[in-house]
Amino acid sequence: MLGYIIRRILFAIPIAIGVSIVCFSLVYLAPGDPLQTVLPPDATAETIAIVKHAYGFDRPIPVQYAIWLWHVVQGDFGRSIATQRPVTLEVFGSVANTAMLGLFSVPISFALGFGMGAVAGCFPGRMIDRIVTGAAVIGVSLPNYWLGLVLVILFAVEYMILPASGMGQTGSANFNLFHWSDAQFLVLPVVTLTMIPIGIIARTTRAAVAEVRSQDFVTTLRAMGLGEGAVIRHVLKNASPQVLAVMGLQFGYLMGGSILVETVFTWPGSGFLLNKAIINRDIPVLQGTILALSLIFVATNLVVDLLQALFDPRIRRS
Amino acid sequence: MSEQAILPVDAAPEVEVEGAPATRVRSYWQSVLYRLRHDWITMVFGAIVLAIILIAIAAPLIAPFDPYQQSIIGRLKPFGWRGHPWGTDELGRDMMSRLIYGGRISLLMGLAPVLVATIIGGALGVIGGFAGRIVNTAIMRTMDVFYAFPSVLLAVAISGAMGGGVFTGIISLSLVFIPAMCRIAETATAQIKILDYIEAARASGAGTLTIVRHHVLGNVLGPVFIYASSLVSVSILLASGLSFLGLGVQPPEPDWGLMLSTLRQSLYVDPLGCAMPGVAIFVTSICFNLVSDGVRSAMDVRE
Amino acid sequence: MPPIASRFVRCLLLSATLMTGAALRPAQAGGVLTVAMTAGDLPVDTGNPDQGFEGFRFVGYNLYDALINWDLSKSDKASDIKPGLATEWHIDPNDQKKWIFTLRQGVKWHDGCDFTADDVIWNFGRIADPKAPQFYTQQFALSRAYLTNYDSIEKIDDHTVAIHTKFVESLFPYDMAYVLMVSRCRAEALHNDWTAYANQPSGTGPYRFSSLTPHERMVMVPNTDYWDKARIPKQDQLVLLPMPEAATRTAALLSGQVNFVEAPAPDAIPVLTRAGMQIYSNVYPHNWPYILNFTRGPFMDLKVRQAANYAINRDDVVDLVGGFATPEYAEIPPSMPYYGHPVAYKFDPAKAKALLKEAGCVPCKITLAISTSGSGQMQSLPMNELVKQQLEDVGFQVTLDVMDWNALLDVSRSGVPKYPNVDGMNASRGLLDPVSALIKPVAKAYWSPAGSNWGHFGSDEAESLVKQIFEEFDATKRLALLAKLNEYESQVALMIFVVHDKNPRALSPKVHGYIEAQSWFQDLTPISVSP
Repeated sequence: MLGYIIRRILFAIPIAIGVSIVCFSLVYLAPGDPLQTVLPPDATAETIAIVKHAYGFDRPIPVQYAIWLWHVVQGDFGRSIATQRPVTLEVFGSVANTAMLGLFSVPISFALGFGMGAVAGCFPGRMIDRIVTGAAVIGVSLPNYWLGLVLVILFAVEYMILPASGMGQTGSANFNLFHWSDAQFLVLPVVTLTMIPIGIIARTTRAAVAEVRSQDFVTTLRAMGLGEGAVIRHVLKNASPQVLAVMGLQFGYLMGGSILVETVFTWPGSGFLLNKAIINRDIPVLQGTILALSLIFVATNLVVDLLQALFDPRIRRS
Repeated sequence: MSEQAILPVDAAPEVEVEGAPATRVRSYWQSVLYRLRHDWITMVFGAIVLAIILIAIAAPLIAPFDPYQQSIIGRLKPFGWRGHPWGTDELGRDMMSRLIYGGRISLLMGLAPVLVATIIGGALGVIGGFAGRIVNTAIMRTMDVFYAFPSVLLAVAISGAMGGGVFTGIISLSLVFIPAMCRIAETATAQIKILDYIEAARASGAGTLTIVRHHVLGNVLGPVFIYASSLVSVSILLASGLSFLGLGVQPPEPDWGLMLSTLRQSLYVDPLGCAMPGVAIFVTSICFNLVSDGVRSAMDVRE
Repeated sequence: MPPIASRFVRCLLLSATLMTGAALRPAQAGGVLTVAMTAGDLPVDTGNPDQGFEGFRFVGYNLYDALINWDLSKSDKASDIKPGLATEWHIDPNDQKKWIFTLRQGVKWHDGCDFTADDVIWNFGRIADPKAPQFYTQQFALSRAYLTNYDSIEKIDDHTVAIHTKFVESLFPYDMAYVLMVSRCRAEALHNDWTAYANQPSGTGPYRFSSLTPHERMVMVPNTDYWDKARIPKQDQLVLLPMPEAATRTAALLSGQVNFVEAPAPDAIPVLTRAGMQIYSNVYPHNWPYILNFTRGPFMDLKVRQAANYAINRDDVVDLVGGFATPEYAEIPPSMPYYGHPVAYKFDPAKAKALLKEAGCVPCKITLAISTSGSGQMQSLPMNELVKQQLEDVGFQVTLDVMDWNALLDVSRSGVPKYPNVDGMNASRGLLDPVSALIKPVAKAYWSPAGSNWGHFGSDEAESLVKQIFEEFDATKRLALLAKLNEYESQVALMIFVVHDKNPRALSPKVHGYIEAQSWFQDLTPISVSP
């Protein structure tokens, strides 16, 4: 087991480096000279040369990458072109806000998705199965930002029960989870965010549970006289690896793919920051945000793989 | 059980057993078609998908009005106003025509990336599965790096960095799907490669290309196709999301995601109108989902 | 359910409803004015703001003063300049290029230091002298449009400074109204670290900085020591929120999240009125045109420019924004004293087509740079789509290059040298003073990026008119010359004239005391908010 853990962690390192290369090269994908965003238009050749040297643009690209990586590893992601604040501050603040959404979306979607899927898987073909599968398919096919808009129309505009946008009465800096006046801002975004993960997790769980149940060893267990409760426990344990893999992906989606929902609700999270960075062509923030989010995702996948190995000894030995 | 999925494709023997009525052993693909034909849900929704595609293609013939024709006095009108079956949008353009024409770009940005990813990812996967360790490692590790990004993030990042537009949208979505496709193809290829009959074919002098063509492709196509069909609805949702963020087509081109974004400003006057492009996306996406589910259960044989 | 349980549940539901009810009207502790701006982000607070004139409106003129301020106290006449940190100014009788400013005494910065002539000198170093330690590139870029004629500054004594201009300009003081003064004490205490300064700005203005959450909100509180006692703010707090989407602003007002909204969605005005909101609108010196490229492209030909003007159905555009605009045939609205009698290119698509054919530009391909929202941009996207349609109806082939407001401002400031392939730019213009209104768009001295003559228009006739105006120190004679310049600009179809905005704003019924000035800038200080 220890060997597997070490091997798996070591394996994650080249992935992380590869991710950083992709992030770095995004700058060069962009049309035009990255220097344009920084310089005034009538800068003299002298000024251009000075700025180029200061930003390191006059070195060959691999060297620039190495310098950038060196700074990143030390925690220096550069400064935002728009606000001149350190990128680490911007990214950290916004990821924390997205994490606030995740704090609620992750447990809700996992619990509901797994529960619904397990129940449906245990009664395949029956009414409950059809209802759950139907709901799951709907959840997966919804454009979630559209759902967000509809919810805003209903709850914020028509009936004025919940706020339409923003994070908290007095902004994210003073957001207090334990006051309803702030916490109410969470409701609509969380509901919107959980739609798709619930659908995907429910479907996967249902398929995994149904498949495991149909396997020989379950019949054997029953034949041995094990009670239904114990059988279900075994079934769920065997279905877990597949479900875990999907949960890991969904966690990554909730942390990294929330840009659409955050745009609709003006939630100042990492997706919103990314949106602004793209609009303002603020390359350092763009690189920093993507790098941070992807690394979180890599770490999540690592954890999922380790958990899978925990549940399924066959994986450990391979 | 699962062996049936990997039988040589061209084996379709007619077996006559003496004294017993003749039974026909269907080939794998024939049995798939048989199952599909009897799955009424998939048939119905498949027909709807076909209808949506045909309507989009035949847009110039079907659409009642010019989707670009604006009319200031006719803004945000309700259903049926002056012959506009579904009302008008925020610039007085006919909603139904915009939705029909919008289907073209939305479907294009939904289907094209899946097609591109299937071809490129599938090819990479087969190569990786068949070739030696070095090539395999190189390909699969590169795919792992891209796999490490959450899909929405990667699509938005690439599209955003490259400046938006339909073409860059297709490229970025293809890049999102290629890793997964590659993995599927590689796994399937690796499973087949070690089978005995491949060794036999090789021993009898068949070149690698022939082996790939005759034996591998047929069996890899199955899982790849299943996965691709499930990707279409995801692709449509992602593409419309990109347009919603302003990274897809530019106005005044009709596109469902973009329409959602522009109609949003008229939330108060015409909430129903605002919701319509979303309904279009939802219906298309759910139909593709149900069809792909049906295809998957037809092709995934378990007793 | 056992009776205890059902009672418990009922109790729970009741308290949930009560809490929700309490939260429905979010706590607006007596007198907090919460503003939803059209800007996509908070304007910078390190001196001259970005995000266009909206930045000046809500941050610039609140935290800071300039030597000369604007009189924003009346809604029935055009706003003009008045003394700010300078009480009086005049030209040196012996040197028409030397302006002498008498500084106000007894003014204190927010940080407690005294305002002196040295501070003024230091400020100009900050924005104009690259060798000065306090020089800040960002402020240089944001201020340079107003320093075109600035040459140097000298201290006469502790309460007097003299500014030297490059050429004779009778209207020079107007430029000085846009140059904000920042606290030298605070900057030097922070060793000229402008990033740190952004979190603790210090000026002389009616509001003090309180707090800032980047990208989200800025909070200011009244400056009780402000030198103009009539303009000490009556609210307890001023909160600024960036909300670039009209629908979001409208929703925020309806749900009580904000109580002062810029440019609500015109379609939503009836809904807002039904909900009891106050709708304000007023004419102001605003211009929503397409500013044209005179260095290359189809618009170099007068016939093409005239064709474009004839193609616009201005009444339709006014309808699109719910009537909150007026058709525009010249740079300035007719309410300005130097309007004169300019030629009006009234809607005539047939004539437009004919002109294009004469000019040989068929189809006439043009690229227009536009923004998604922004200060004075009105309902940019739908309006541009409508105009595009109207232009294409007469034979143009229009490509819209859509960008964020701040990005368009960069196009605007940098001009055609940096963006030669843009044929026209849809940037609304502030016309508060005659220089900005009529002179800058045509004079060679203001060729971008040194000034706001974006497209590098230049003609001998314009140059001579401008020179006459600058050398005319008699106000009446100058007025006549300005009117002549306005007429000239319409005659040469300098821009594609579309509409003048009428500045719609929506306020909650709890907001009192607001007077909507005929200006881009507004005075928020007399406003109070009842609970």
